[in-house]
Amino acid sequence: MLKTSLIILVLFVLAFGGFVAYDLATARKRREVYRVKSTATAYLMLLPAVALAFLFILLPILYSLGYAFTDYYLLRPNDINFIQLQNFKDFFAELSTKGTLYNAIKNTLTFVVGVVPLQIGLALLLALFVNRQGIGSKIFKVCFFAPVVISLSVTAFLWEQILAPGPNGLLNSIIGMFGMAPHDWLRDPKTAMPCIIVLSAWQGCGYQMLIFLSGLSNIRKDLYEAAALDGANWWRKFWLVTWVGLRSTFVYILITVFIGACRILTQPMLMTGYMDHTVTLSYYMYNKGYTERWVGYSSAVALLMTIFIGGITLIQRRIFREDK
Amino acid sequence: MKKLLASIIAFMLVVMTMFSIVACGGGGEGNGEKEVDKDGNTIVKIMFHVDKSSTEGQAYQKRIDAFNAAYKDKGIKAQAIFKARSAGASGYETELLNNQLEGTLADIITFDAPNTAAYAKSGLLYDISSLISAEEQNNFYSLNKYEGKLYGLPIQESSAGFYYNKKIFRDAGIDVSAYTADNPWTFEQFKDVCAKLKAHGVTAVDMRLDATKDETAPYLLYPFIYAAGGSFVSDDGYTATGYYNSTATAKGFQFIKDLISEGYTSYAIGATDFFTGRVGMYLSSGWTIPDLDNKYREYFASRDDWGLLPYPKDVVAASATGSWSYAITNNHHSDKTATVELLKWMASAESSKAITDATGMIPARRDAETNYAVGSPEYTLLKQLELSGKERPATVAYPTFSTTFNQIISALDNSDVASLLNSATNTLQTEMDRLKNLK
Repeated sequence: MLKTSLIILVLFVLAFGGFVAYDLATARKRREVYRVKSTATAYLMLLPAVALAFLFILLPILYSLGYAFTDYYLLRPNDINFIQLQNFKDFFAELSTKGTLYNAIKNTLTFVVGVVPLQIGLALLLALFVNRQGIGSKIFKVCFFAPVVISLSVTAFLWEQILAPGPNGLLNSIIGMFGMAPHDWLRDPKTAMPCIIVLSAWQGCGYQMLIFLSGLSNIRKDLYEAAALDGANWWRKFWLVTWVGLRSTFVYILITVFIGACRILTQPMLMTGYMDHTVTLSYYMYNKGYTERWVGYSSAVALLMTIFIGGITLIQRRIFREDK
Repeated sequence: MKKLLASIIAFMLVVMTMFSIVACGGGGEGNGEKEVDKDGNTIVKIMFHVDKSSTEGQAYQKRIDAFNAAYKDKGIKAQAIFKARSAGASGYETELLNNQLEGTLADIITFDAPNTAAYAKSGLLYDISSLISAEEQNNFYSLNKYEGKLYGLPIQESSAGFYYNKKIFRDAGIDVSAYTADNPWTFEQFKDVCAKLKAHGVTAVDMRLDATKDETAPYLLYPFIYAAGGSFVSDDGYTATGYYNSTATAKGFQFIKDLISEGYTSYAIGATDFFTGRVGMYLSSGWTIPDLDNKYREYFASRDDWGLLPYPKDVVAASATGSWSYAITNNHHSDKTATVELLKWMASAESSKAITDATGMIPARRDAETNYAVGSPEYTLLKQLELSGKERPATVAYPTFSTTFNQIISALDNSDVASLLNSATNTLQTEMDRLKNLK
């Protein structure tokens, strides 16, 4: 492993050095003395960040990418063999059996389709609500943001108590007052994922609310005044002024929430365990890599997942790109 | 877009090529160099899975100190390393693997018994068959074996049973005094007691059906399958088909399913329902004894208020066993004498007693001194271990077995047992085939 890391480091240093040298040589060739100095200074100042990015971002990504083509088994770290595309063949073979992997993809898609509109919609509503300069708007802002700073593990535990299956569970106690029978919310395949979607949207929307709020603060007030003079009602003002003004903020939020949703792991892991009706792709990947110890296969799943998320993100950017 | 795609593909090809050339090289194996301190003593390192300040950790340290005092003149010195399982068993395993990768793995490690096959197959453990005499091996209730070879010696043992609330039983007119470890009750007698408890208006038994997020449910429930005459895998640990989905195995799971469908147990039983007098029986291991003795005095003032019943039998009697063990790693010294001395010391009857006195578990050895009163819960557990203790399936694919077992238990109430078992068998068999083909 050390040998491999050193080889990658040498290659990276060579690539980085080559890039710097080329840049400097170009500047010299063009006799841009001022640029030679500033370029050298810029690269030197960039060096600590590049070193950290190499260590903590690029190196793990490269390793994961490389392992995707090996048979790396966690208990045999000294015996890693290059197996070309076997992990990807295994992935599609397992997918065709419609087993846990199939369910993991299905559940992840269900979660994404459920949580993205819900979380963004909630965030926008809350942002519009607290953006009014009414009484207590600051308190509401703090309240809505509070779940974001609570650890996801704690949130999952709290919701597990709320959704506890017995008659003493909080939600079951409430529905019990209306004569309804207790329900096992997290074990019933019909209600488990919706519960996780609601919890996740509740937990995460405070953060997007703040981003929407900053987007709202950038919309000029005179646009609303002009719209009011033109006789626009609340909806027309929202659609023609607020929404247009929030468009770039919305695209950013859409992409980040989508990526976050695709990576869901903690909630099903802590609330239900590795069950077919709640297992997600990240959880499947974690289980394959750590519990079943197939690091190579797990890395292949990670690579496919990255390609999928990257592909969808590119499509999103293309659909929502600003007209020039 | 095309440029971007071309760049990504080119980048991936470069990485693939690079890894095909260099990743396979890996790191070096442990060098097996003998480590000696400044006084010329051979250092033997032993790694424990608990915190040093815990009761168990202190017991280990005392035994290490005693070893160092006893072997002072023989030039051997033991050094304990404590790596608490703060992030769960997998966190400890990661630590083990990191050490293996760095070539700094301790000479002796502690490990969870179900990992024996996987660790042995991967070359992490050293074959100690020839180093431990047959007579010495016979002293242990169970041994950590893989493909007929001995790879580990248990630190302590465990057993489980049904804790019951004597007041509820008395009020319901139920007499279970005849059911002992020597004379376990049957599946039918178990159901009869459940029916009487249900008729009395209490939830009959907490079968721990909600404990499917970790190893708890597999550990507590697998004996029912053996008791029904079923099994999970072949003797070599590489075949699940025909075992995991056999009729006898299905019968064991069906028994648990019947308990749910007949309303004797459920997934909705709260964690403290038994301890607060709402449930008649509670399936758990020996670790519940201190809780009942100390924590719930309001409901269980003394041992007269609760008792422990063995696992029920069907075709045969079977009960849960298994705990952590010691093993010599393949990172051992070229001169094994010192390492084996420490292993024997830590697995001795004296150490076994000292450690189980601290943990409340059952000694791993038959010759370890115990002073359990006849009929006491501890006695029931020990006797049951002797008479019907059966280990969890020994397979390299144990993590997958555990996962599929949990999935079956979690879906028992709303699925057909046969289809659940077929699905689990396919998953486990695929994993076993994959591991078998691992070069």
